[in-house]
Amino acid sequence: MLLLLPQALVDGILIGGVFITIAIGFSLAFGVMHIIDLAVGEWIMLGAFLGFYLTQWTNIEPLLFLPVVFAAFGIIGYFLQPVIFRVISGIKGDPVLMGLVFTFGLALIFKGTGLTIFGFYSHSIPSVFSAGSISIEIGNFYLTIPIMRFVGLAYAIIITIMLQYLLKKSNFGLAVRALAQNREASGLMGINPKKTSSYVYAIYVGISAMTGVLIGSIFSLSAQMGARYTALSFFVVVLAGMGYLAGVPWAAFLLGLIQSFFLIYFNPGYTLIAVFSILYVVLLISPKGLFGRGW
Amino acid sequence: MGTYIKGSTIKLFALIFVALLLLPLIFRNPFSLRIATEALMWIGLAISWDVIGGYTGRVNFGHGAFFGIGAYITAILMMNWGWAFLPTLPLAGFGAGLVAFIIGFPTLRLMGAYFAIAMWSLALAFQQLALLMNITGGPDGMRLPTFLNPEFFFYLMLVMVMGTFVLLWYLMECASFGFKVRSIREDESGAMALGLNPTRIKIQAFVLSAVPAGLIGGIYAYWVSYIDPPSVFGDIITDQAIVMTILGGMGTLIGPAIGAVILFAFKTVFWAYLSDYQVLYLIILGVVIALTVFFLPNGVWGTINSYLDHRKSKKNDSLIS
Repeated sequence: MLLLLPQALVDGILIGGVFITIAIGFSLAFGVMHIIDLAVGEWIMLGAFLGFYLTQWTNIEPLLFLPVVFAAFGIIGYFLQPVIFRVISGIKGDPVLMGLVFTFGLALIFKGTGLTIFGFYSHSIPSVFSAGSISIEIGNFYLTIPIMRFVGLAYAIIITIMLQYLLKKSNFGLAVRALAQNREASGLMGINPKKTSSYVYAIYVGISAMTGVLIGSIFSLSAQMGARYTALSFFVVVLAGMGYLAGVPWAAFLLGLIQSFFLIYFNPGYTLIAVFSILYVVLLISPKGLFGRGW
Repeated sequence: MGTYIKGSTIKLFALIFVALLLLPLIFRNPFSLRIATEALMWIGLAISWDVIGGYTGRVNFGHGAFFGIGAYITAILMMNWGWAFLPTLPLAGFGAGLVAFIIGFPTLRLMGAYFAIAMWSLALAFQQLALLMNITGGPDGMRLPTFLNPEFFFYLMLVMVMGTFVLLWYLMECASFGFKVRSIREDESGAMALGLNPTRIKIQAFVLSAVPAGLIGGIYAYWVSYIDPPSVFGDIITDQAIVMTILGGMGTLIGPAIGAVILFAFKTVFWAYLSDYQVLYLIILGVVIALTVFFLPNGVWGTINSYLDHRKSKKNDSLIS
């Protein structure tokens, strides 16, 4: 049992890397606009399928398409944001509720469209890294690292660093942070809240869709995968604290470790129960996340 | 909110009830009865969702859990313990209510989106639990003894849903309880300042919303005689109840009933003619809900109501001047 411990730890951290990127954009969008997007998993699904078809048509390495997917979905997100903004800022009804219900409708549309066009089958995106793996043997300990998962972790770290840089060092990031703090005041300081929100939403949708391509080549993709990743994304965002970006990597690694430990030491069927139960308990004990820094 | 038709309301209810009672005499074929029974079932689920979603203002993305709990309680009592059907029904309702009571204490403290996510994850956990436990038959589901009597199920569902409707109508539109839950929806701290106990009222509303769902789940299990985790704990139960309520109009009782009838009639026609493209139904659900939220945030009934109110107040204005 102990022999498998390093494998479980490494697996958990490698999977956790991908979970950073399914949640970081979502957390950013929540911090700025206070939108709970129930369609986050469906963006991942749609992005994965765009990557899948692009790879099939061109036979080029799918990782090269990441910027294309980002741009395509960024544009969709940019133009979708005003619609969502109109829904959540309407006079009628509770804005949080209206936003939830509206994005829930979007999720149904995306899921239905996905199932209609792509069918129920499961696919995977072949990458040059898919087959390879590194084996390490130290004494009695064996360790296998699939290269694709390592690429996933590297991708997650790059995205996180780029996002941090964008938010902390650029003028745009200053505007986003101001907007997250106080919408009216930032508007008075010459920031265009609508446009900035649109860019943030574009970044969120783009990152989510791009991560879909990576998930498609690490695990698999199918039109039904959306709900699962919505759940995992919520888990990470809630544990990190809604809108608190610095908490996201820790929560994501925790989720990865939960998954790999259940896979190796317990019954993998109980993984989702554990995930949902932990999510529920954390929401009850500390709705602001493990660090108490969320909204 | 519908109170101005109060005088004729009771007569209207009685009329609808008698018309529904006579329905099996007109439609003698089992297929029509089956559709009528399912329409009633959705009306019941939509109005019970509305108690917590519309009146109390807590969007519950886990309503299907209560339905599934009721269905599984009936199935387990009948199959594993050899009970007759009717005695299991009160327990199905009680079980759902008890679960709502227990999880209500911690969960209802959460606001808005947090409550939605918590209930959603809880419902998914229940579904996973039903997939894994032995007593529920796991992914194979449970097969109940078949009882081929459409009239029985129609009347049972009719009594259950009408009873729920009348009870909720009394509590929400006539008794003070309706004002209490609405005051919590509008301003919880304000309600507390006026001497109400929000926790207690929210839990009462939550249990009131869960019990009908459990009862309907119990009837459903015996009616279709086969249940498995996706069919009774699946997202589609909650999703449809929410779409129906929002389409009809939240915070009313007639609204969800109208929404349920519209959507279910549509679904039936759609299923019959386009059975090859069943997933298209998901798209249509999504489009319906997105368009409703965008253009008719008050739903069909809410919009009609405010139009009528507007006209009435105009008339009064002209009388005064």
